[in-house]
Order: sequence, then structure tokens, then C-alpha cells
Amino acid sequence: MKNVNYDICIVGSGAGASPVAYSLAKAGANVLVLEKGPWLTEKEFFKDELAISIHDAYNPKLTDEQHVIEEEFHNEDGNSFWQGEATSDSGWTWWNGSVVGGSSNFMSGYFHRLKPIDFRLKTEFGAIEGANVADWPISYDELEPYYAMVEREVGVSGRVIDHPHQEPRSTDFPYPPVAELPMSSWIDKVASSIGYHAIPVPRAILSEPAMGRRSCEYSGYCSSYGCASGAKGSGRAALLNHAVATGNCTIRPNSKVHKIATDSKGEITGVHYYDSVGRKKSVSAKIYVVACQAVETSRLLLSSTGEKFPKGLANNSGQVGKNLLFSGGGTGRGDFLFNELNEKQVNELKQVGPFINRALQDWYAIADKNFSGANVKGQAKGGTIDFLFHQNPISRAIGTQWGVDEQGDDKLLWGDALKQSMKDEFTTYKTLRFEVFNDWLPTDDCFVALDDEVTDKWGDPVAKVRIGYHEHDLEVGAYLAEKAEKLLSALGAKNISSSVSGYPATNLMAGGCRFGDDPKTSVLNKNCQAHEVDNLYVTDGSFMPTGGSVPYTFTIYANAFRVGEHIKHRWQVVAETIV
Amino acid sequence: MKSFFDKTFQTPLWFKEKGFNEKVSRRSFLKSAAGASAIGLSSGMALPAFSLTSKDKNTLAELTKTDPWLTLDATLTHLLPESPSSTLSHPDRGPSAKDINALAYLHQVMKVQPISVDEKEFIINGVGWLNGFAQSEQGKPFVQLSFQEKEDILRIISNSNAGENWLTTLLAYLFEAMLAPSAYGGNPNGIGWQWLEHQAGFPLPKVGQRYFELPPRGRTKNEIAIREINTTKSNNSLVNLSPVNNPSVKRTNKA
Repeated sequence: MKNVNYDICIVGSGAGASPVAYSLAKAGANVLVLEKGPWLTEKEFFKDELAISIHDAYNPKLTDEQHVIEEEFHNEDGNSFWQGEATSDSGWTWWNGSVVGGSSNFMSGYFHRLKPIDFRLKTEFGAIEGANVADWPISYDELEPYYAMVEREVGVSGRVIDHPHQEPRSTDFPYPPVAELPMSSWIDKVASSIGYHAIPVPRAILSEPAMGRRSCEYSGYCSSYGCASGAKGSGRAALLNHAVATGNCTIRPNSKVHKIATDSKGEITGVHYYDSVGRKKSVSAKIYVVACQAVETSRLLLSSTGEKFPKGLANNSGQVGKNLLFSGGGTGRGDFLFNELNEKQVNELKQVGPFINRALQDWYAIADKNFSGANVKGQAKGGTIDFLFHQNPISRAIGTQWGVDEQGDDKLLWGDALKQSMKDEFTTYKTLRFEVFNDWLPTDDCFVALDDEVTDKWGDPVAKVRIGYHEHDLEVGAYLAEKAEKLLSALGAKNISSSVSGYPATNLMAGGCRFGDDPKTSVLNKNCQAHEVDNLYVTDGSFMPTGGSVPYTFTIYANAFRVGEHIKHRWQVVAETIV
Repeated sequence: MKSFFDKTFQTPLWFKEKGFNEKVSRRSFLKSAAGASAIGLSSGMALPAFSLTSKDKNTLAELTKTDPWLTLDATLTHLLPESPSSTLSHPDRGPSAKDINALAYLHQVMKVQPISVDEKEFIINGVGWLNGFAQSEQGKPFVQLSFQEKEDILRIISNSNAGENWLTTLLAYLFEAMLAPSAYGGNPNGIGWQWLEHQAGFPLPKVGQRYFELPPRGRTKNEIAIREINTTKSNNSLVNLSPVNNPSVKRTNKA
């Protein structure tokens, strides 16, 4: 009998990991969480632009840990080929918060639920050529109680209103909405005047103190910044702290898992990791859970080869890493020029602290025969539009050093000209931005593999990510961006523009280990248990066959709570058998 | 490379990573939409923490008597002048390089922040190239030129690739000195935020809480070995150079 140290060993500590740790530790299981990054607390999060955006200080250096990104190029003959570039060469980081609690520490916390149609995309809208669209093996109704559980346990603030695309809800929001800016009512008014339905955005931010956490203090910097009050519902603040308080959960930070080892029978013998000073360690458990965020989860499974798994753990189907998802869509903007507005309007625009919290979902399902991306019935899956202001002043200043000379060429500015340029940039207008979220269709050209050459600082192969996209995603994104631009225009914004492209936003990733009923075409079963390994679960966003048209974190949380319930029953049976 | 006008100059990687190379980059656009920018942290080793005490101010005053700090100070001052008699209206005049402690900020960047060795070298080399060009054009080092002569020299070098990169680097640090939390050595009492009517967030980091002072990540055995060697080396050199420990040693102003 092998030496089993823990009931549950979880690799990763973010939104996919923390609900399992929380549920199992509360039930009395002995839980170990292995996290690659350091364990920070509220005391180590500041509104420091240098830390967050200029130096990306909560993530590894790209020279230490990186990715290889494969993009498609065309040669002179018109033939296409895929060429990889290491992110240490491009500077394009793919890390999203490598600390205890993971990227949930730095999320915006837009907690839109998926809608029933997202669970049966193929049935609803039909197949799309070149895309591997598949229905989920579970329905919205099966996940709904867990959305409600997240709203309660993680803490979601919001307000239910009647809306054409409102999904069914079993409960109301447990917390009232967070405070809003005047822009919220500007949007409400204009939206209804042009036939849109602006809806309040539910946020994973406490509007009232609860569960040992303070409420939001409205510092005005939220998205991408760690929360110093504990109001933001990160997996760390909302769940892991409580898990540790049970006495049943151990978090081991700075522990980099590099392999899940298996024996000649294909059974997991242990998890191998490097500790904070680089020593090789291993640990075993009755049940293993992987939740490292989509790309790194696939990388770990692919790296975990063994006698029974020559292509990587749970990958005899060849499906691990396949059908990786991002979010389709893009961004747009419009400027409010102060000299076109009255004093009251300018003062309202200048307010900082509360949130806009408005979204449009009028085209979550598009019914428009004139839309080129629609199916024969004139229908297509659409998406969500969210509105926001940016803060980051250094980023805003960068660019003010460029002016134009008499010949119309770019000219570097300094001195009084620079001062004038900076003053104009900061004090004469404010930009309202929007983000479009639509489905990133799964294709054969978007997947994770291991790179043959590049390794991380421990000497292990890094993930190579091919980032092909489906043209349909751009059509839908552009359709939605045009709707959002119309709202900006009705608001009186100027310099309106938007950008929809096939470049993935790397903070929005899922897929790679699809769940499904058929072991040939999926990695996990409907309980997110590996088809090929009985005591292995994957609980981050990797399970999604299609991603829906909202940010992923809420659904990752809800699904991890759902799978956590399953693991809990399983563990209780195992525990009883052993007793 | 001997001057800003060397044709072999290629924009270095650390510069591209800062994101101000491409004026409209789709990647940084997407990332900034997500709230973060596409910037990786380059390698380099942090030296002991630094804050602007009166002793440091004296040190800075001492440093600016010779190059490279003499020329860097003059360049920063020219890029962000005091504008007493300018045509700008009063609220537009804004703080000068001196008002935002730009030189102290840059000194802290070079000595404390873990920026890449390549970037530090480029900043220092630029001082030599600037003075070399000023000598060849005017027969004087940059600091001895008149305001208009400085303007002309900087305008000419800004039209070279390397010169544009060098000036852009200094301008980027002026932006940081004006708009970063004051724990980094610039923006005293939020003077830059006030001028640009920017409301800062909270809490702000103090010295000891800056981005390079956050708890460390897991290290490999190799990294730990290298760090021990470097610590020993730098400890030794600090002891040897420190006027406190050895008053007979005259401070060298090498960056």
C-alpha cells in the first residue's frame, strides 16, 4: 500500500481550485493545495501602477517562465505556416496572477451567468464549418444551484431586473449592488431611448462587510488590481482563508508541480514538485485535482507521461490541450469632450471611485437575417458588451510625447509642448470604453502542446500555444461592437472607434480538457473526472467545450463547487470504506 | 556603437517590452483593455532599498557634479523645464523635472529597481553619445550649451533611431517620476497627480512595499547559488566603496 499523505491534493489555488478546497476542508477532508506562486494577503496589494501594469510584479519574469505562441503566417506563394515565438522574445506575457488565489485576485469580477443556450450551442444554432462546436453534457438547470451558491459563498452584489435575455434564477442576489457612477444613469437613459436594455452588472465585490471581509472602499482602481479590503471575491479572500481556518487545509506556496506520476497500472503514485528553494518533493493523496488555469493544466497533463500514458496523463484519447478557448470580441471607445458639456456633466464624468456596472445583452442571441454570420434561420450566438473607465495614469501619459511637425510627420515632444500635450490629454476629455465578449469557437488550430526547445527555469518544457481563431468570431464581434458604438454615439461621445481581432485576450482562457460523455472526444466526464484516471479531476475552466459569451470566472467557480460536491460524496464513501 | 547615428543600432528588446515603441499596438491594446499591459520584467538584480532622505539629497547633489548624472540632470531639466516665462497659461505650466524629483527617481531606477543591465548601459551610453555630439557640433559638453543649442542638439538626435529611443526612455521615466506613488522617489506629495487632476487610488505602497519588494517567488537551486555569489560580491564592494566604512576612499560616481 502506498503512503497516502492527504485525502485531496489540489494543484493550483485559483477560482477552479479554491471551491474544492473550501468544500472538502469544511467536510473534514485533509486537503493540500500546491501553488506555484507566493501567498500574499490584503497587506500586499496596492494601487501601484508600476507593480500591476508596468512591471507585472505578481507574475513570473518571462525569462524564468514563459510560453511559446504559434501564429499563422503566409509566405509569398500564399501557403500558410505556423511559427512559434517565445514570450521572452515578444514580451507578451501569458501569466494572469501567479499567486495564491491565482488570477481571481486581479479579476474585474463581472459575474454574468451563462445562459441556457450556452449549454447546447450546437443544438441551438447548428454546426459551423471549421469549428468543433459541441453541446455540454450538463444543462443550465444542473449548474444553476451552484451559481446561487457562488453568489452566496463568494459574495456577489447585484440587482435583478426584467430583461429579454434574463436567465432563470432560483434566488435573488445576496448583496445589494455596489455604488454606481453618474455614467450608469446616463447609459440607462440613452439605452432605453434607442431601444436597448442596459442591465446592471453583477460584481464579485462585497457591497457590505460580510464573512470576515470588509466591503468595497471605492478606491477607483479595481480591475487588474489586487484588493486591499478583501471585498473582491478572490478564491483566496473568499474561500481559501475559510478553508485554512477549518484546520483541514494546508496551502503550500512557491511549490511548482511539474509532474503527476503514474505506475505500470496507470494509477497515480504522487505529485512531484519543486519547493521554494528548488528541492524536488513529492506527495500523494486519495484524490487529485488539477486547476492551474487552462494552458498550464494542459501543460501539466501533457508533461505527466507514464507507462500507461505515453502521450501524457489522461491523454490516450489525444484530446488533452485541444479545443482551447479564449473570448472573442474586442474593445472600443469614445471620448466625452469637456468643452462640449456643461459644468454639471463634466463634474459627473470626473467622479472616481464607484463603478459603471452596465452591460448590454440584447444580442446574446442574434436574430437578424441581414447578419452575415447568421445560420439559415437568421440566428447566431451573440454576446455581451460591458462598459468601463480606465485609470492608470502612467499608461495614459505614454503617447503624449508624440506630436506632429510641420510636414505632418511624428515628432517627439518635450518642454512646454510636452506639458501642453499632457495637460490636454488628462484634463480636456474622458474616454468611455467598452469590451465585447462573444464565443471563441473551438477549432483544430487552437490548442496547447509542449514546446520542443524552450524550458522554464527548472528545466521543464513550456507550453506552446497555437492561437488560431475562427472568422465567425470576428463577424459576431464586429456586429456587437457596432451596436455598442451606436450607444456611445447616442451618449454624445466623439472619436468613437472599436477594434475586433483574432488576437486572444490572454486573461480569458478555457478549454483544453473538454468534458463530455464520449471518452474518444473528451478528456473528462460530466463530473470533470478524467475518463482514463479514476481519481483525477480537473476543475478550472479547462472543462468547457464552448465558452459562452461572458467572462469565465463565475462559471469556473460554479462548476468547481458542483464538482466539489461530487468529490465530497466520493471521498465520504472512500473514508467510510477505509474505516 | 559610438553615436546615436550608428546605422547598426536596433531597437533593443527591453525598449519594445515597454510598449511605447508601437504607437498603436493591438496586443497592448487588448491587454490594456484587460487592465494589464504586455510588459515583462527584465532580469537584473535589486540593490538595497533606497529612499530620499536628506542624506540621499546630498548624495544626489554630489553626484550631479560629474557625469553621467550631470548630463542626465541637464537633459531631464530640458525635457521638463520650469517654464517661468513660457507662453503656457499658468495651470498648464505644471511641475518641472526638479519639482517631481525626476533625477532622484532616475537614480532610484538605476540603483534600486531591477531593470535590465542592458537598459542601464543604454542610458549611460547615451550620455556619452550626447556629449560626443555636442562636442562635435558646438565644441562644448551638453551642460554648457545655451537653451537653444540644447534644443537643437536634442532635436537632431531625436531624428536618429537610437536618439529617439534614448529620449523616449528618459521621457517614460519622467512620466513615472510624475505619476508613480511617491515611495519610488518621484511625485512628492502627489504633485504630478494634482497637476493632471488625477485621483490616485489607495492604499499606496510605502518603501518596503514597492513592486520589487513583494514576497519572493520560488527559486531554483541554481538561482539561489548565483544569488549567494552576487550578494557576497556586492557586499564586499559596498564595504570597500562606502565612505562611512572607509573615509579615505573617495566616492566614484560610476553608475
